[in-house]
Amino acid sequence: MLADDAACNSRNKFPGCVYPNAGRGIDLYGDNIEVDYRGYEVTVENFIRVLTGRMEPSVPRSKRLLTDDRSNIFVYMTGHGGNEFLKFQDNEEISAFDIADAFEQMWQKKRYNEIFFMIDTCQANTMYSKFYSPNILATGSSRIHENSYSYENDNDIGVAVIDSYTHHVLQFMEGINKTSQASMQELFDTYDFDKIHSHPGVRSDLFGRDLKQALITDFFGGVSRAEVTPPLFHVESPQSPPQFDDPHQEVPAEPVHPPDQTTPELLTPYELFVSQKQLSDRDARRSLRAWLAIGILVGLVGFVGSKRTR
Amino acid sequence: MSFEGEPNHGTNLDPSTLSFESLWSRRRIIASYWLVVLLAVPLWWKATSIDRLSLPENRVRGLSGKEISFPLRIHLDSSAVSHSVSEIADAVTKVLSDDLKEGGSGLAVSVTSSDLEEHKGYSVKLLQDGSKNVVRGRDLLLSTPNHESEQFGQSSTRRLADVMRALVAPPQALVSGSAQQAVKYASRYRLAFTLLNQDSASGNAALSWDIQSSIHRYLKPTLEKLSVLHNFTIESQVQLHAPLAFDPTIVTHNNSQSFGLTPEDLTVFVNSAEWTLSSSVSNDPVLHFVVFVPSLLNNPLYILDKKNAVTNSNAFILPQWGGIVVLNSPKEHLSIDDLHSTFGIFESQLHALLAVPTLPADVTSDEIGPFTDWQLDALVRRRTRENFGDSRETLESIILLVNQISNMPVGQDVKGDVQDALSALDQASLSFLRNLESW
Repeated sequence: MLADDAACNSRNKFPGCVYPNAGRGIDLYGDNIEVDYRGYEVTVENFIRVLTGRMEPSVPRSKRLLTDDRSNIFVYMTGHGGNEFLKFQDNEEISAFDIADAFEQMWQKKRYNEIFFMIDTCQANTMYSKFYSPNILATGSSRIHENSYSYENDNDIGVAVIDSYTHHVLQFMEGINKTSQASMQELFDTYDFDKIHSHPGVRSDLFGRDLKQALITDFFGGVSRAEVTPPLFHVESPQSPPQFDDPHQEVPAEPVHPPDQTTPELLTPYELFVSQKQLSDRDARRSLRAWLAIGILVGLVGFVGSKRTR
Repeated sequence: MSFEGEPNHGTNLDPSTLSFESLWSRRRIIASYWLVVLLAVPLWWKATSIDRLSLPENRVRGLSGKEISFPLRIHLDSSAVSHSVSEIADAVTKVLSDDLKEGGSGLAVSVTSSDLEEHKGYSVKLLQDGSKNVVRGRDLLLSTPNHESEQFGQSSTRRLADVMRALVAPPQALVSGSAQQAVKYASRYRLAFTLLNQDSASGNAALSWDIQSSIHRYLKPTLEKLSVLHNFTIESQVQLHAPLAFDPTIVTHNNSQSFGLTPEDLTVFVNSAEWTLSSSVSNDPVLHFVVFVPSLLNNPLYILDKKNAVTNSNAFILPQWGGIVVLNSPKEHLSIDDLHSTFGIFESQLHALLAVPTLPADVTSDEIGPFTDWQLDALVRRRTRENFGDSRETLESIILLVNQISNMPVGQDVKGDVQDALSALDQASLSFLRNLESW
């Protein structure tokens, strides 16, 4: 989900590319980034629909999260945020409660095995404070009442290109290949206030496994298990299939692409998640209400008018 | 009354004489505002309240702990063995039901002797010659060693029960290599067959294949037999360029330089970023079957074991995803006969992915079909039990969720779905009982 298509923005001096630093080492946009939700499609409602799987039947496969109880999911969020909320577009927010309830619905509907939740925003650690569903590992960039800062400005583009925390995680991930045995604990151990300029947090009380056993590749890289099929036409005992600890997984990652974030804003009240059904009902009610109000108004005006002429 | 500084034009206007200034009108105007507010209250109430219909919680709770049970009647014919049939039958029934109770498979097996009327269920026939145990349809021909024919002892009963148990409730080891290989049940699957050339420009490539006739010849019997459970949609494609995301290890095999895929390589073999292996036209789960032809630079390509020694297998399964066969130095056109061994592997991989149990080691099938009715029935029972359990859990968690999140609307569609699911579950548990009576 990319609300702001920076790569294809006309003000981007390097069309089709997003660089994580002023040196322009790696192109984050790459050749095979797939953007499923872009621009104004990125709404709180759509995000929660993707998570919970409540979709119209006509929604195509690429816009769905087709996971089951054996899938590991990585959710990365960034943007402007504050105490227990994150802004979507310029007109709505998702609150920590919304995400927590969405994850609970996912758990009850068996849509995940494990979730790795990462958020980079001001006061990010408040966003995962409301989670209550099992098997979620969460990490955020900054404490409550603490800002997350951008990493550096690219003077050619004229904007800050990446956040400190995301930059740090990216640096770490660049050193990991698909067959790496690095664990989550190793990632969290590299967190350093001097480099990130905020205090990143980790929440692992809901997570069932030891962080030293949880591999980075459990959530990244599309690594699956493989079992060698014994040859068919030989009469010999099948060799024992190789075993790997990685569970089968799917990594629908939100591409790393953060704008800079600064000011915290006020907490808005808990947003209701409305089902499709209720939406259409609500529309009907709304128009009914409007017509009734107009009818009463017209009645009143007519009544006063008739009085006046008398 | 007149306004200061303004000239008086004839008559003095008395405000109390203006129609809209009369006390009566004023009161009515104010009252009408309140009337609007009052009339709007029920409307406002209706429009802002969340629609939460009550779900049949008690019926769902009644399901908890309930398992579907399959009463099986196996008919025993032991005329070839000089021993009382009913005694054997009773003994086997007892051993079997003790065994199955532990497994929690929901089976209630009763073995009956041959004197019953016409039957449609399973039959086991004891033979005295020492040949192998043979399965045919729902029949099992079980050989008993000669010396046991005089007394049908405890060990024979045990052996008989073990074979029958492995057939009606295959243990996990017989289902597939590991419990996680099989995909979750879906009523529809897409099978996507891909002939994937790493680099056809290198010269080592298969450019076409007789896929339609091969599927027809090699897989159709399996697919037809499984059609009671699943509906298959098949698609196929040939790709001419499919780079690997890693470099294969160089190994020496038969005194020549070859290339190998280590166990780690296999886990990241599928280059999901660059390969498009299936169309995304539907949301059905996809099972992938890939023939991978390495480029000349990586030819021949073998699968290595943990010690980097070449294995004699050229295929592997990615659990719940599909199967991959590596084909070294193929012909440019793969005919039906060229694809014989490949599709043999695909068939066994399909069986593993769809959790078709294999026969126990000491039993063979003399059928032409891909697998016997014993296996199919065991699979259907397994899937039924899984689905029954899953639906029960889903219903329970919906109730839990609705109670937990008080802002969640529960509309008529949700209520209807829950009721439909409940009646479907009731029907499922009833129909298995009814089936028994019709036998």
